[in-house]
Amino acid sequence: MKKLKLDFTPIFLLFIALALAFLAWRKGGSELAFAGIKSGSTLLLHELPLLIAAFLTAGLIQALVKKETVERWLGAESGWRGIALACIGGALIPGGPYVYYPIAGALLHSGAGLGVLVAFVTAKSLWSISRIPVEIALLGPRITIIRFLVTLVIPPLLGFVAEALFGKTIHQIRIAMKKTSDVIDTPEVSEKSL
Amino acid sequence: MTTATITLWIIALPLLVYAWRRRDNSLNKGLQLAWSTTRRNAALLIIAFIIVGYVNILSPTELVQKWIGADSGWQGLFLAEIIGMLLPGGPYVVFPLIAVLHNAGAGLGAVVTLVTSWATQALLTITFELPFMGWRFVAIRWGLGLAVPLLAGAITQALF
Repeated sequence: MKKLKLDFTPIFLLFIALALAFLAWRKGGSELAFAGIKSGSTLLLHELPLLIAAFLTAGLIQALVKKETVERWLGAESGWRGIALACIGGALIPGGPYVYYPIAGALLHSGAGLGVLVAFVTAKSLWSISRIPVEIALLGPRITIIRFLVTLVIPPLLGFVAEALFGKTIHQIRIAMKKTSDVIDTPEVSEKSL
Repeated sequence: MTTATITLWIIALPLLVYAWRRRDNSLNKGLQLAWSTTRRNAALLIIAFIIVGYVNILSPTELVQKWIGADSGWQGLFLAEIIGMLLPGGPYVVFPLIAVLHNAGAGLGAVVTLVTSWATQALLTITFELPFMGWRFVAIRWGLGLAVPLLAGAITQALF
């Protein structure tokens, strides 16, 4: 159900593609308008062996890393050790936001600290081992390595900074989210409050 | 064979062998997951590459270089961070678009800022984050992360 929100993406992309097609047509008639599609599909065919390897790697990592393991591993962790573990867990956990945010939410309720949760989400964003193959395939190894190295310290660093500055708010966050999930459980209440 | 292709197959093959050796259906499951990801993203990927094709033939090099080229400085990085926040979709859509911007003249620093901003600050991702983590968490994580894409781009520009 959560995935429905992603439906915005194809519409947005299609809109951009049509706008570009229109620009090409204005500039060079139907010949240029078709040249864009031709250039794109040639490139896609050229990238196909790479993409197959990337999809294969991502799928295998997903099958080999069980999300329950990561969840059990990080529940109720906090402090130094927790942040370090959260970075590794975030790097290993495969899948899009509709996979890792429910996990982060579960960790929040099982007692994980703020730094742990920030480190987990940030490591997923910057260290994700299932996304790196895709990045190598589509952006090239050089950009991927530079991007990875330059942002290497960020997940633990943000975890520590969040914990040091706002660590105490985690109780508020936990209580607030508990209330919201109660409201979601009883839809008639939220309807009345509207 | 490009370096990227070789690198990827060097990662994929040991994983294939390992999944097969585990004999716990990991291989089957992995292949199924790979196939379902491919199917789910195929249409998006095609649209993304058509956009890439159009950017290629329209070659807005002057425009791209002017705004986010290697000499665009902090303003270019700032713009790259905003674009990164607005980029929709997963890696299969976003990376080809960033690659074509790089080919059209976007600087290496701007590219690193784009990827980092999309990864950590994307606005569309927040729609998933809010219901599970609440606005306080989002405000802290997103707020602390704001400077990261800019700094990552600036460090890249200084070093590479």
